[in-house]
Amino acid sequence: MRRVAITGLGVVSPVGVGVNAFFEALITARSGIRALQVDFPTGPEQVLMGHIDFHPEGHFSKAELLTKDRVSQFALVAAREAMAQAGLGSELTGLQPERFGVSVGTGSGGSTSLEAAYYALLEQKVARLRPMTVVLAMHNAMAAHLSMAFGLKGPSSTVSNACASSATAIGDAFRQIRHGYADAMLVGGSDALLTKGTIKAWQAMQTLAKPHADGPQASCRPFSKDRSGLVLSEGSAMLVLEDWDTARRRGATILAELAGYASTTDAYHLTQPEAQGQASAMFLALKDAALNTRDIGYLNAHGTATDVGDVVETHAIKRVFENHAERLPISSTKALHGHAMGAAGAIEFAASVMSLRSGQLAPTAFLQLPDERCDLDYIPLQARHVKNLRAVMSNSFAFGGSNAVLIAKQV
Amino acid sequence: MNFDLMDLFAETFGIAEEKLLPGATLESLGLDSLAVIEFLFQIEDKFGIQIPDQANPPRTLDEMVQLIEPLLPKGKPDNAVAAA
Repeated sequence: MRRVAITGLGVVSPVGVGVNAFFEALITARSGIRALQVDFPTGPEQVLMGHIDFHPEGHFSKAELLTKDRVSQFALVAAREAMAQAGLGSELTGLQPERFGVSVGTGSGGSTSLEAAYYALLEQKVARLRPMTVVLAMHNAMAAHLSMAFGLKGPSSTVSNACASSATAIGDAFRQIRHGYADAMLVGGSDALLTKGTIKAWQAMQTLAKPHADGPQASCRPFSKDRSGLVLSEGSAMLVLEDWDTARRRGATILAELAGYASTTDAYHLTQPEAQGQASAMFLALKDAALNTRDIGYLNAHGTATDVGDVVETHAIKRVFENHAERLPISSTKALHGHAMGAAGAIEFAASVMSLRSGQLAPTAFLQLPDERCDLDYIPLQARHVKNLRAVMSNSFAFGGSNAVLIAKQV
Repeated sequence: MNFDLMDLFAETFGIAEEKLLPGATLESLGLDSLAVIEFLFQIEDKFGIQIPDQANPPRTLDEMVQLIEPLLPKGKPDNAVAAA
């Protein structure tokens, strides 16, 4: 089996565009969550969200924007950064296009365009829709744009596994390279789902956070006794994965090794998480990476800040890490960037890789009052610097019972 | 060339006007067939006209103008777009 190198990272997030700005915000606990007014048909409402102040015209021409939903715009901007870091700009020097693929995840695809089309059709009663509607809204539009932007002709796929989408997409691509089906893959995820329909649907599920007394920015409080739910957000993270020897041969800087991946399914409940399924995914990812629990020096938790979710994840971590669980630094960065759904796994894996490289562990922001049922080292409030970080783990768990776990190792 | 039509075209696609030469192919301006349909739909909506489906869609700016111009409201050929 071939080793897999990570040679590029790119992020578009509510706390910053660009991986360095993003990670700096996490380390300094700067929240990207705000209360924004949304003009629902039933009247305006203040909604908590991790909305990106994104100006597409700064990245694309008008003609280019005609064919790209917000979800693809995020992915392309993140991918440009990742590809540039990997030294792969306009040319794929040292790599064959036919051996370079795309594997991405999204929960909602081009939902902005789809909602606009429904609004035009059902509310404005237009006789016909924009001719671009299908290609804007289809889930694989992002993968198509990425392949065209960089001339990637290898395998391409789009995973839609709710909140585990991009972690699964990264893991699947890891196996493509490991087993020789591709030499490089542009991987990650994107979601842009802050539409009226999506927000209303999530409100109806009763899982969204309520505004906190300390201010809207402090409303997502994973592992905290006073947590009240998740905060919807949006964004993208993209990574360049390569066969280790290929990366070395072409002189690329290897940021980390993608060492292990596993996915499991709870087969239990549509929305309720289950500790055994999550624990199995963590255990199998460790086995896949040929690492022991003590090798993991940081865990980026799924930690959505729902009452049940944070407790179940705590149980699952204890089940896998046993005695080491108490000494394992863990955090949920969702307190700061919110829950970017299908993009969450890629965004949080990017944060984990940045931690591995810098030794800086992002805190769980706003964790002033820990829930006694979440009694692990959740790095409250302030970042921590650690030495000799050997490997990091990132958890992504989804509605539908999908669990995906990724492990990155020091070069 | 209908300059008002060209202005609208330049505005829709964000293309510098000096690039809009009559013989320029739409492909060379970075526009595919769907983008052209998008523009034709806009024209139809703006002027309340019906542009018949084309077996061979326009390939150049000139061909596109020739397709649209005869269908535009009559009387003020050069100001038709601005006045609409």
